[in-house]
Amino acid sequence: MNSIMKTQELEQAFEALKTFDWGGDRNVLAPIEQAVVSSAKDAAAWKDLEQKLLAALGGNLNRAGKDFVCRQLILVGSGASAAVLSKWLGSAEDAQLARFALERIPGSEVRQVLIDALSSVTGDQLLGVISSLGARFEPESIPALTRLLSDANEKVAVAAVSALGDIRSPEAAKALGGVKPTSDAVRAAITDARMSCAEGMLAAGKSAEALMIYKSLTGDDQPKHVKLGATRGVLACAGKK
Amino acid sequence: MTQPTKPSRRGFIKATGAALAAPYVLTSSALGNSVRPPASDRIVMGGIGIGNMGSGDMGAFLGRGDVQYVAVCDVRTGVRDGAKNRANEHYQNQDCKAYNDFRELLARTDIDAVHVATPDHWHAINVIEACRHGKDVYCQKPETRTLHEGPLMVDAARRYARVVSGGSQRVLEDYRGIVDACWGGSLGTVKSINVNVGPLSQPCYLPAEPVPADIDWELWLGPALWAPYNKARCDGNFSTGGGSWRSYIDYSGGGMTDWGAHHFGGATFAVDVRDQQPTEVIFNQDPEGNYLTYKYASGMTIYHNKPKTENLKVEGTEGQTREPKPVPSYKGEGGIYGDFIHCVKTREKPFRDIEYAVNTIVLSHLGIIAYQLQRSLKWDPVKQEFPGDEEANRLRDRARREPWTL
Repeated sequence: MNSIMKTQELEQAFEALKTFDWGGDRNVLAPIEQAVVSSAKDAAAWKDLEQKLLAALGGNLNRAGKDFVCRQLILVGSGASAAVLSKWLGSAEDAQLARFALERIPGSEVRQVLIDALSSVTGDQLLGVISSLGARFEPESIPALTRLLSDANEKVAVAAVSALGDIRSPEAAKALGGVKPTSDAVRAAITDARMSCAEGMLAAGKSAEALMIYKSLTGDDQPKHVKLGATRGVLACAGKK
Repeated sequence: MTQPTKPSRRGFIKATGAALAAPYVLTSSALGNSVRPPASDRIVMGGIGIGNMGSGDMGAFLGRGDVQYVAVCDVRTGVRDGAKNRANEHYQNQDCKAYNDFRELLARTDIDAVHVATPDHWHAINVIEACRHGKDVYCQKPETRTLHEGPLMVDAARRYARVVSGGSQRVLEDYRGIVDACWGGSLGTVKSINVNVGPLSQPCYLPAEPVPADIDWELWLGPALWAPYNKARCDGNFSTGGGSWRSYIDYSGGGMTDWGAHHFGGATFAVDVRDQQPTEVIFNQDPEGNYLTYKYASGMTIYHNKPKTENLKVEGTEGQTREPKPVPSYKGEGGIYGDFIHCVKTREKPFRDIEYAVNTIVLSHLGIIAYQLQRSLKWDPVKQEFPGDEEANRLRDRARREPWTL
């Protein structure tokens, strides 16, 4: 197929996208999916595709159309997508779509819009943003996440604790070490996150730091499975399996 | 909500000492007999996702004398009530409770172990949460929906010293002839094996249908992107051609992960690379059909859909023989379920330890990404990333719908 025909097909697909809805024939959008893959090594083509997809989002797409676009942005998205999708992060309906793309797009622009959203988004959408920062292993988000550790909303505190556990750096462990649990759920999350950090330390050869965490979790006040796991951690720090 | 609390094994005598002071009739069921241990020595179990494979798993555990089945969880009212009634009829009591939300089941401190047979997009969350609550887990295959989930499931199992078994019984039971030939040495040095399986799952844009009253649709979707209810989107049958959730990318990797867990599992067992992951996936374009070549650091090769090659065809150094190796097998009695229960009691690693299961399903996920991008990939099994390949790395995981997280 020559490039003119491909261009025409792509234009037709973007036209079909404007009214695409649940129950629609996904094949009409296939040229867009094919363009995403076939132009992967062509930075200018990807940039052009991203711009077309973002322009489509600026229109009045149905939910299914937005869904389709965000799936493509996982691959072709860049900092330009961060600026557009960040507007959805507080939306009950669209935040999940925004994060579906943003979480997988590397770069400082996405990181910053997610960190900024920590102070502007609420409810389940805030939990989602916190989760995405953890999933992206963003050490730069540690100060902002630390401020949420004592949030009055238990779910927010648990999410922040878990995200720090995902990042599992010594700095994250330090932040977690200073938290006073306000409920059983927060306490369990802190235990899980600290053990995750200890595993990261152990893998990085910092067994002395890991040992301090594990030893603090071997007391009789700990649940049996925590005590057992921490005891194995202590042995692992000593080079024993 | 008040949750039943299970006394520890050691605490059991102390707890019952006080109880025995009061009038109390110990039933023969509670005391046990030659084939059924006393209640205090049974593994107390619950099931999460009780339809289809979950029903089969439940039946296997329910039939064991050393298991006391006390809880079922499913987002479909009819399924969970039917399963609850099944357990209660089996035991001739009313002890089995039904739950819509798996978190309520996991909060019960009297439950030792759970089996998980939810749709694949739920597996990682179910398994990791179960480990956090101190439960041992038997998880149906395919164990993961994304590459990223596997190491987190292994971490959770190790972190809390839990017994976590994957769920393919076919790995040992269906391919025994090939396994015995490879481990027995009659094929000489094994060089490669081919796996034929597919297809890949697809995005789903089925039209909206009214949500039936007996399903909690939000909880069925869980961490997946919101989508309207459609029977074919969530049907529990085994179709990968459009008739069930196994056909669709948000919930499954399609046949590539569903049967892939069996076939790749059998292949990795036969050629003894269960403890490894490949370092390279080569995308081969061929007039007979595109296919993959997985390369291991150990030198082993696994093909996927190699043209004109039968499933699980092994290539060895024909004419040569090698010293046989003893073939690993299940522990305990009762197949893969018995192996799991045995390991729950002894704290040994099960035959399909979650790490082996994850190493298997990694092949499916790497293959899906190679086919999607239509090119070859390098894979770092230690760092769990595609070195220097930002595009492929974006496909290692997918964001979860709030409030769900791993």
